[in-house]
Amino acid sequence: MNNKDNQTFDNMPNISQLSKLSETEYLNMTLPEDLPQDDIDMIAETGILFNQNNRSSTLVVRDQEPICLENDTDNFEMLPIAIALERYDWLREKYYFNAVPSDYDEVVKECASHKNPVGYFIRVKKGAKVDMPCQAAMYIASEDITQTVHNIVLLEEDSELSLITGCLTHNSVSKGLHHAVEEIYIGKNAKLTSTMVHSWGSEVSVYPRTATIVEENGVFESNYVSLRPAKHIQSNPKTYLNGKGATTRNLSIILAAKGSVIDTAGVVYLNAEDTSAEHVQRGVCTGGKMIQGGLLVGKERCRAHVDCAGMLLDESGEGYIESIPGIKTYNSDARMSHEASIGKVAPEQVEYLMARGLEEAEAVALLIRGFLGADVAGLGEDLDAQIAEIVKLAGHND
Amino acid sequence: MKPYDNILEINNLTVQAGEKTLLNNLNLTIPAGEVHALLGQNGSGKTTLMMTLMGFSGYEITNGVILFKGEDISKLNVYERAQLGIAISLQRSPTIDGVTLRSLLSHILRKTENADEKIIELAKLTNMEKFLDRSINDGLSGGEIKRAELLQLLAMDPQFSMMDEPDSGVDIVSLQLVGDLIKRVFTADEKHPAKRKSGLIITHSGNILNFVNIDKAHIMHEGRIGCSGNASIMLDNISKYGYEECIHCIGVGKQHE
Repeated sequence: MNNKDNQTFDNMPNISQLSKLSETEYLNMTLPEDLPQDDIDMIAETGILFNQNNRSSTLVVRDQEPICLENDTDNFEMLPIAIALERYDWLREKYYFNAVPSDYDEVVKECASHKNPVGYFIRVKKGAKVDMPCQAAMYIASEDITQTVHNIVLLEEDSELSLITGCLTHNSVSKGLHHAVEEIYIGKNAKLTSTMVHSWGSEVSVYPRTATIVEENGVFESNYVSLRPAKHIQSNPKTYLNGKGATTRNLSIILAAKGSVIDTAGVVYLNAEDTSAEHVQRGVCTGGKMIQGGLLVGKERCRAHVDCAGMLLDESGEGYIESIPGIKTYNSDARMSHEASIGKVAPEQVEYLMARGLEEAEAVALLIRGFLGADVAGLGEDLDAQIAEIVKLAGHND
Repeated sequence: MKPYDNILEINNLTVQAGEKTLLNNLNLTIPAGEVHALLGQNGSGKTTLMMTLMGFSGYEITNGVILFKGEDISKLNVYERAQLGIAISLQRSPTIDGVTLRSLLSHILRKTENADEKIIELAKLTNMEKFLDRSINDGLSGGEIKRAELLQLLAMDPQFSMMDEPDSGVDIVSLQLVGDLIKRVFTADEKHPAKRKSGLIITHSGNILNFVNIDKAHIMHEGRIGCSGNASIMLDNISKYGYEECIHCIGVGKQHE
């Protein structure tokens, strides 16, 4: 396994021309609205909305094929990665398997073995602030297949983008494997807000391999939500704050249901002066095995905090939460701290809310939502629905 | 529903927590439209009675019945009792991290039209606007918590309100506001202007009597109602002679009627 902690990338290419798909390339694509309605509904549960005027562009990957692409904006491009690699030699040279080395582990090696990778390439032009979020859905529609995706996001200097990614299985699919490499490059003074929602079948194993490099005064805000039972999720995203003043805030909201093994961590390398990081994990365990972590490595004068909190809603004694927040400091001017806590839904709080006229399940849902601190953009009602499912998993009746 | 004269009728109620008997063969009747005060020393069972009436866990009814509007509610859970129109303002209410006062009020008012406006209106009335988006009771002073409790009661608009020391810990300046809010909770409903909402208030001071007409007071002693009568006279006697005199009086079986 590659443990480099100072991944870098060269200066961004400043290519004024952005490309779109040619007409021939579009011929193979479906319009999102032509997807089956139940697919549209399921995808919508991860925050990916079609036929709305509040998204700047959309890419949908079904199984191992990009099937939809809509892109109406001129200040950034979103392309299937295979097409982007054909067009841009610099992409392969400088960004493809750079933040995530191609020999990182077996999952990445499997991804690297694909001659025609599937996924998205997003590039935001220097100075461009994309008003509306850009979105991508990756879903598995066939039983027991391996979906392998590779995504690259490139924000040039002074640019801004909000990205919503939904990764899911179709309701009819219970078993599968999802491998993903994601490489994110955030240039000087650029800002990326990323919201990723996972919604997997109960026999699906998921191995994302993500690395983000942030340059001077760049900002990376990342929300990750996975509140449906999956068999196994193992991820340890790396964030390299390489430029002075670079900042990251990561929030993960995760469920470990009975039968699940959910191991999510994250490492932030604070490699430059005045960098700062906040790494927050919120986990709810209804009987699975949950390992939540986060390691902050301070090389220079920096500020960083890691906070892991778990709520154990399981009386069987089989499920557990293990919280491992960590800090490592090389610089005496680094101000770093960590905290961890594990608790349950307090019965006196449930009764207090019931005395205000809330049903038990409603009260527990309100408490879980409060614990998760979950006001993730674009997920209002769907998040409520997923929390209601968790309340049922935890054995609280309507 | 059967017609009823008494909003609350408690017959021979005995309540235990573990091995300990907390309420012992208690009887209490509150006619519809009346507000009663509950007096008594610490540990006499006042809070236990309210918690039992609301249905909180940890209070096991081993004997007796609780009739609310003529129906036995002793087997109902907290939510079901709240749905019937029973509400409580706790003496010590919990802090709930991450759940804002506004979100709780939204749940309470979920079937109300213009709920958002109603929340603002009630928050202004209780001077709690700045705490709406804070976690419930997080960092609030004693007096602010009392106002938060009364705000929730006003949003619920219950038929029968129990208040456990609603004025304790309230500073002199806020006392007028808290008194006005308590009065508002019991304000007559529009359909029956002659009949107030009903309730039961635990208090140690006579302050509340300046704001709310208390129909009757009861002194609790060792888990039962020992003495009932005019609230002003009883509070006056207690302030002059202390609870010891009342206990003595209860001991010889005399009732101040």
